[in-house]
Amino acid sequence: MNFRKKISALKVPHHKNTAGMHSVRISPPKEVLLPMSMHSGGPAVPVVEVGDHVRIGQLIAREDGKISSPVHATISGTVKAIESFTPNGGRPGLAIRIESDGKMEKDPNIVPPQVHDLDSFLAAVQESGIVGLGGAAFPLWAKLDAVRRNPIKTVLVNGAECEPYITSDNRTMVENSDYIVKGVGLLREYLKAEEFIIGIEENKPDAIEEMRRVFAGDSTVNVMPLKSIYPQGAKQVLLYNATGKVVAEGQRLAELNVIIINITSLAKMAQYIEDGMPLVEKCITVDGSAIKEPKNLIVPVGTPIRYLVEQAGGLKSEPGKVIYGGPMMGKTARSMDEPVIKATNAIIVMDQKDAQKAEPSPCIHCGRCVATCPLSLNPTAFAKAMELEDEDKRAAILNKEKVQLCMECGCCSYVCPAHRPLAENNSAARSFIRKYNKAAAEKAAEKKEGEK
Amino acid sequence: MEKLITSASPHIHSGASTRRIMLDVIIALLPAAIASAVIFGMRANVILLTCIVSAVLAEFLFNLITRRQQTVGDLSAVVTGLLLGLNLSTNVPIWQCVIGSVFAVVVVKGLFGGLGRNFANPAITARVFMLIAFSSVAGGAMPAVVELEASATPLEQLANGASQLPSLLDMFIGTYGGAIGETCTLALLIGFIYLLVRKVIRWHIPVVFIGTVFVCTLIASGDFVYALYQILGGGLFLGAIFMATDYVTCPITTKGRVVFALGCGLITFIIRYFCAYPEGVSFSILIMNLLVPYIERFTGNKPLGGSKNA
Repeated sequence: MNFRKKISALKVPHHKNTAGMHSVRISPPKEVLLPMSMHSGGPAVPVVEVGDHVRIGQLIAREDGKISSPVHATISGTVKAIESFTPNGGRPGLAIRIESDGKMEKDPNIVPPQVHDLDSFLAAVQESGIVGLGGAAFPLWAKLDAVRRNPIKTVLVNGAECEPYITSDNRTMVENSDYIVKGVGLLREYLKAEEFIIGIEENKPDAIEEMRRVFAGDSTVNVMPLKSIYPQGAKQVLLYNATGKVVAEGQRLAELNVIIINITSLAKMAQYIEDGMPLVEKCITVDGSAIKEPKNLIVPVGTPIRYLVEQAGGLKSEPGKVIYGGPMMGKTARSMDEPVIKATNAIIVMDQKDAQKAEPSPCIHCGRCVATCPLSLNPTAFAKAMELEDEDKRAAILNKEKVQLCMECGCCSYVCPAHRPLAENNSAARSFIRKYNKAAAEKAAEKKEGEK
Repeated sequence: MEKLITSASPHIHSGASTRRIMLDVIIALLPAAIASAVIFGMRANVILLTCIVSAVLAEFLFNLITRRQQTVGDLSAVVTGLLLGLNLSTNVPIWQCVIGSVFAVVVVKGLFGGLGRNFANPAITARVFMLIAFSSVAGGAMPAVVELEASATPLEQLANGASQLPSLLDMFIGTYGGAIGETCTLALLIGFIYLLVRKVIRWHIPVVFIGTVFVCTLIASGDFVYALYQILGGGLFLGAIFMATDYVTCPITTKGRVVFALGCGLITFIIRYFCAYPEGVSFSILIMNLLVPYIERFTGNKPLGGSKNA
């Protein structure tokens, strides 16, 4: 029997319209735009110049900084420009524009990497340019590198895909199960992981069946159906629901001897080790109320959204909002000319009606946000604190109420009958408290220094 | 080029709204309103209508005069008027109904900053105000459909040690003296179930509130039937289901709400059992409303993964 406390969660409409649709490789776009910051960490640095001819898989930007990831050409053609590019809500940076020569030639120098121990394995993953494809975009090698400090006993493979609409991970499981098997084998061999849990929401019966089939004889792999609730795929939620463990404040997941890896990241990793082709294309779900023919499309990274939408039959009504990823946590695009990036798993185009948000009204203290928060936080307390002028008082409340634990899943905003922008406020509160605590720590350090 | 909306996530919403919640409360109160008309006659309708119309008008004019955004559309004034009306007896003169409604909306809610900012339930506070200001509010009026000898409510009779009590069945269907909306327990329970099904409220506050009164009375008196009379009589069901559960004036966590309801039950019991005064629900809710900030201090949820000393 299991008497564990249940984590609060939401039942959101699934809209998994494309779950049964085999992914289709699109005809290549005329050009791609590849931002240098498609991952968390330091931006990559271009190693090509305008006018250079590049082929698919060729390194065009090397990683830079402690945590970073390289970028590779995703089509063959000419480097047309190295221009400034600011992702929506991100820091300004550079992007490389490649004009297609229409040939889609692969770089002939690409060979499978030589992998024989942990070091060579991690180096290979680093060169693959693979980042967390569930949306977090944390460089995969950096995540696996944790094994050098903490032994990894359990690998939690995230196939939950709890956001509405998105089915690209589902397609990975159904279509590329061989790579998932190989990926599990690689982690077992080089990370010495003992146990694998593949967590999949129950609304993906095909994926569960396929995973059970390919891992039938393997007692170390547990294919675990999970309730279809949002946010089942969030780190803390998945960890708790699959293992009963909780990452404490300030603790790293690896300290629990666990890592969580997105299922498509795992498959891509195995594919790279096998054929040496870096992360240059992705399966992306194109859906939403303004899309004529929702589809799963395999597209080169950097493809403009506009081209992607055309490949999905075009628009059936005037677009109101374009979302990278799911509608719960996805960021909006400013224009259809923006490119899809490495971690893009879906493009949702909402029509004008769906894109409208209701005007907020006063908080009626109903407590739905508190009751729904998967982490048992109190969004109304954050909102009240943010109204305070006194920064010290504001910080005291935010620290006490643990705003820094918020993962911005959006459940609070989703349920709020007063339509208050709670998740947005949480995000503002988190960046405020990060700056405030950093400044406070520096001040304390200075004081200590002065006393010496 | 198309103009795209950029905004923070999430980009979808459950569809819940303040207005819909208020509408649900109104729907849940309809059985009680209908029962009041059946049991107490036309006069009950007049009282309810007067309270609703004056509450809505008061809110409208208050917003107009103080140049605030018009909030009549959120229907909260309708709920306040309806609740206040259900808490009055047919003896109350119409002009007193008007004053009570205006007091609830303007003094208790509006002056504190409108919906969501008031610290006490408007209908409860207005009722207590009327109890003190006008003596006619307290006590019960005669039901129109039954002929009873005494005009005292069962709780008054219990307090005075009278012998001629209505049967428990009468107590359940509401054919006895009292405020027009409080007597028909059946109608209130139907409303309760509706609110539970619509997920407007959860069961904790009403069940703990009523349960506490029942258990305390049972222990104190040792009389099961007497305890039943205590929970069926007076405004307990109306207060526990519809007024103690007011979001604005009860704690935000389930833990807090249980503590709050326990306090309401205890105070109701103490007032009823130890004081000469037969009613206690309004006072207990009002007192507990004032204690909410203190209850909330020690009933917060423990964040998952949060360490205590960080």
